[in-house]
Amino acid sequence: MEKRRRTVRQPVRALILLAAFGGTAQACELPPGTRVESPRAALSYRTIPVKIAVGEPFVLELATCPKTQAALSGRVKLDAHMPEHRHGMNYRPSLKPIGGGRYFSEGWLFHMPGRWEFVFDLDGERLTHSVRIE
Amino acid sequence: MTRFVVAALLALISGSAAAQSLEFTDVELRGILRHGPWPVPWSPDPSNRVSGNPQAIEFGERLFFEPRLSPSGKVLCATCHAPFRGWQDARARAFGLAEADRNTQSLFNVRNNRWFGWDGASDSLWAQSVRPILDAREMGGSQAGAAALVRGDPELSCRFEKTFGVPPPAADEGVLAGIGKALAAFQETIVSGRSPFDEFRDALEKGDRAALTRYPLAAQRGLRLFVGRGNCSACHFGPGFSNGEFHDTGVPFFIASGADPGRHGGIRKLQANPLNLLGRYNDDTAGKSALKTQYLALEHRNFGEFKVPGLRNVALTAPYMHNGSLATLADVARHYSEIDPDRLHSDGESLLKPLRLSAGETADLVAFLESLSETSSALPSRLPSAPCR
Repeated sequence: MEKRRRTVRQPVRALILLAAFGGTAQACELPPGTRVESPRAALSYRTIPVKIAVGEPFVLELATCPKTQAALSGRVKLDAHMPEHRHGMNYRPSLKPIGGGRYFSEGWLFHMPGRWEFVFDLDGERLTHSVRIE
Repeated sequence: MTRFVVAALLALISGSAAAQSLEFTDVELRGILRHGPWPVPWSPDPSNRVSGNPQAIEFGERLFFEPRLSPSGKVLCATCHAPFRGWQDARARAFGLAEADRNTQSLFNVRNNRWFGWDGASDSLWAQSVRPILDAREMGGSQAGAAALVRGDPELSCRFEKTFGVPPPAADEGVLAGIGKALAAFQETIVSGRSPFDEFRDALEKGDRAALTRYPLAAQRGLRLFVGRGNCSACHFGPGFSNGEFHDTGVPFFIASGADPGRHGGIRKLQANPLNLLGRYNDDTAGKSALKTQYLALEHRNFGEFKVPGLRNVALTAPYMHNGSLATLADVARHYSEIDPDRLHSDGESLLKPLRLSAGETADLVAFLESLSETSSALPSRLPSAPCR
């Protein structure tokens, strides 16, 4: 049902960063969840409840880690939208850091069935993941 | 999923019955089944501590038919929400003390809403219930006037105390919140009954081919359009046929005083309302009911958006759209058939496209919408209550 996507807006910048740090890959341990990666960073997220239902509020838990020696600054933004419908949510969820690169976010609600795309912005690095809601 | 396919196949291969039932794809079947079952289970409104309370329902019913809430003594809630007209008034735009800008929404299944009013300016049924009392063009009342009425009338005062366990408080705002909560408790009982569509939907789920064939073919074709090419169920979602949110559907929003801001204005009103769920009158100690209000986003695109109405009993509640500008269901089908995408917000969604329905398809869609009418009322019958002591 779910389709994993990886989008990197600035691949060149990411490559430069990798080169700058000698291309050292960090062991990036993340809690269980849906894992999304880019050359610079990885994240895992899970929703509560696990199955997102149209019109029902849900919570999102996020864990992040850098894949290079350059630590993430903690500048994180979350959003979601329906690319085919060209609209986003009617709500602006909270984002609360809870330490160790982890975050708690509430206030999510997908109000239409179809494909929704989560957008995770970690230090300007844009990672996305699509889910289909029935 | 297998049972759905079996049900459809059974209907197709069973002689004369086959001619009376369409074959639906798996995708169509999933789309149809999520419009039920009906009725949905009842659960009390956590923000209203008297939700479901029989004393509150009786008090609310009395207030609903109480003309003295309007200083004119001539307008009551039931003036616009007439029970014998599908709990609305059959007018294009509401008329209490004067003509308003929007159509009166039916109260059928009102309890299932997330937001209330065409612009969602209220986040609870109880807050919405006091809005017309205070509106100059509707009942023209005031917080002080409504509170004084309840405090000063022995019957109403007694019912307030029986409902809430305390006499009407000294603060007018507290009495008004109580009036709203009792009115909401009554309106929560206004639920539509089962419809021919529900019988068909449940027959599909159970594989009851005899029941399947009782649903008219025109309604079946209309249903297929509704969940398929028409994409109507993207917004008219779920058992109540509404996703509870707001969209710009190309209906003009110009009014005598300029433009109706729709959801944009509704969010602003909501945020300024002391009776919203973030305020002191929310009875939900867990606080979860207020999350939707807390995290609500005000966006430019909200301008000109109006709430997606539920469609149960829709044939009983003409005229249609937020301004009552379309007289019949056929007019509504034609609106979506010929919609002009250029009239929609440039920064809005790209979901709506002209359907270009034939006359036959329009008739089918209308046949489906008419099949959402209840076959018998689900309203509880209540005897007039004895005077309060």
